[in-house]
Amino acid sequence: MAEGKKTGKGFPFSIVRHVVQVCVLLLFIVPVLVAGWSLFGGTVGSNDAQNTPELVFPFFGSLSSSRLFGVDLIDPFAALQVAAAAKTFTMEMLLGLLPFLLIYGLIRGRVFCGWVCPVNLVLEVVDWLRGKLHITVEERALPRHVKVYAALAVLALSLLLSVPVFEALSPISFINKGILFGSMVGGVTLLAIVVAELFWGHRVWCRSICPLGGFYEVVGKVGLVNVRMEHDKCIGCEKCKKACLCDPEILDAVVADEDIMVRAGDCMLCGKCVEACPTCALSIKPGRVGKGKSHV
Amino acid sequence: MGAGKIIAGIAAAIVAAEGVAGFVMGSSSKLLRPPGIQSERDFMARCIKCGKCVEACPYAAIRIAGPSEGSAAGTPFIDAREQACRLCPDFPCVEACPTDALRDVAEKHDPHMGYAKIEEDVCIAFKGYRCEVCYRVCPLIDEAITIDFEQRENDDIHAKFIPVVHKGVCTGCGLCVERCAVSEPYVPIRIVTLAEDGAHTGGGGKGGGEGGGAGKGNGAGNGNGRGNGESGNEGAKG
Repeated sequence: MAEGKKTGKGFPFSIVRHVVQVCVLLLFIVPVLVAGWSLFGGTVGSNDAQNTPELVFPFFGSLSSSRLFGVDLIDPFAALQVAAAAKTFTMEMLLGLLPFLLIYGLIRGRVFCGWVCPVNLVLEVVDWLRGKLHITVEERALPRHVKVYAALAVLALSLLLSVPVFEALSPISFINKGILFGSMVGGVTLLAIVVAELFWGHRVWCRSICPLGGFYEVVGKVGLVNVRMEHDKCIGCEKCKKACLCDPEILDAVVADEDIMVRAGDCMLCGKCVEACPTCALSIKPGRVGKGKSHV
Repeated sequence: MGAGKIIAGIAAAIVAAEGVAGFVMGSSSKLLRPPGIQSERDFMARCIKCGKCVEACPYAAIRIAGPSEGSAAGTPFIDAREQACRLCPDFPCVEACPTDALRDVAEKHDPHMGYAKIEEDVCIAFKGYRCEVCYRVCPLIDEAITIDFEQRENDDIHAKFIPVVHKGVCTGCGLCVERCAVSEPYVPIRIVTLAEDGAHTGGGGKGGGEGGGAGKGNGAGNGNGRGNGESGNEGAKG
């Protein structure tokens, strides 16, 4: 890490990212506190109507669905599961899922994973803990595309069981809604992820298993913000690949001078590679470029 | 590395077991749902456990189900004895639901979360005491709960004031349960939830008793679903 920072002038991606991740969690907590409610589901009602987060704040909800100035926002993958489970699709659901689908679609699908998802934040702590305990794990425990099949499996199971399956297991729920409502949903999943992370594979859940990540990987095939490579500066040290939070292989093409942009839907724009690059050959820039070598 | 794989395997097995157990147990959930539920199955297919109904309820009556509820864990429910639904005129919980798991209610006659059922052996009104708390607090007084008069045994002067629940009208809001004056040996009035009712009658509606149609001019657009219109209270006749 220390060497990564020696470039000095680079944007402090990791720090900003963690600040954003914490702010996202706070964003949902603030309306509850402003309304005078308790966290962890401890609110006690009375016989008189009292303030609600909805009434006192222009934003409230959770990562599954929220409301901003009266506009419903729905996690697009959750909406798809409901469509499969209830065998229905309403205009309300379509309008609800579009904002996030457009935002993440326009930036980069898995920007959710890197900048919003609280599990990513927890796994940063696990990374640190694993280092402290001197445990070594596999770097690529499972192929990265497994999560796309996991997403498809979730949709198929939702259709079959008539229940939005991932919403019943999501580790994101445990952190987000655990704080808000004391919900225990996904607690066991999160525990299993931490165990797998500590003893089996580095970021194996995020890289290869998470169905939501799989969904956003598909969305992330496009996106207007991308990691770019200036080949003139690259010295082939592959420090970027070691730092990558997704799968190191998504950087193969740019390091091998076959492409000037990371195209894999996996990229979550975490900026780890940019920070790690000793020669500032990598950067995150808006706009898409055609496949090919960097032109001089 | 071998040990790591074993531990990871165990972790995966636990998640899988949690998932399977959740879906198996989920089908047995009999929770009292917020207003706007159409059927337990429809509700479970649509609810994404976002918690917006919880945050919209001005009485904090809606809570989140715990892990013992299987796949229904994380879904909203109402503990009627703790804090019942007040049937708000604007139904903010229904309005907050992004996936229409709660829907189609316009006014206080519309919700059908279940219906109240009185345990005659424990209810003090059946013993001849004047109580009528459930009748008085009912948001649909004289519609969902009415009072029948009945001669007390071995008493030529006094009458019993017997509360009668009209199943097709009762919304299942649970205010009667919250306010019931009796708690020993147990609360003699409870809500038979939509899920329970569906499971027991299978939608067939073994309509017993005489018509409890007294003043049920609700005329609400949405069908009352299952076995409606019949008096849910048996034994009102001596």
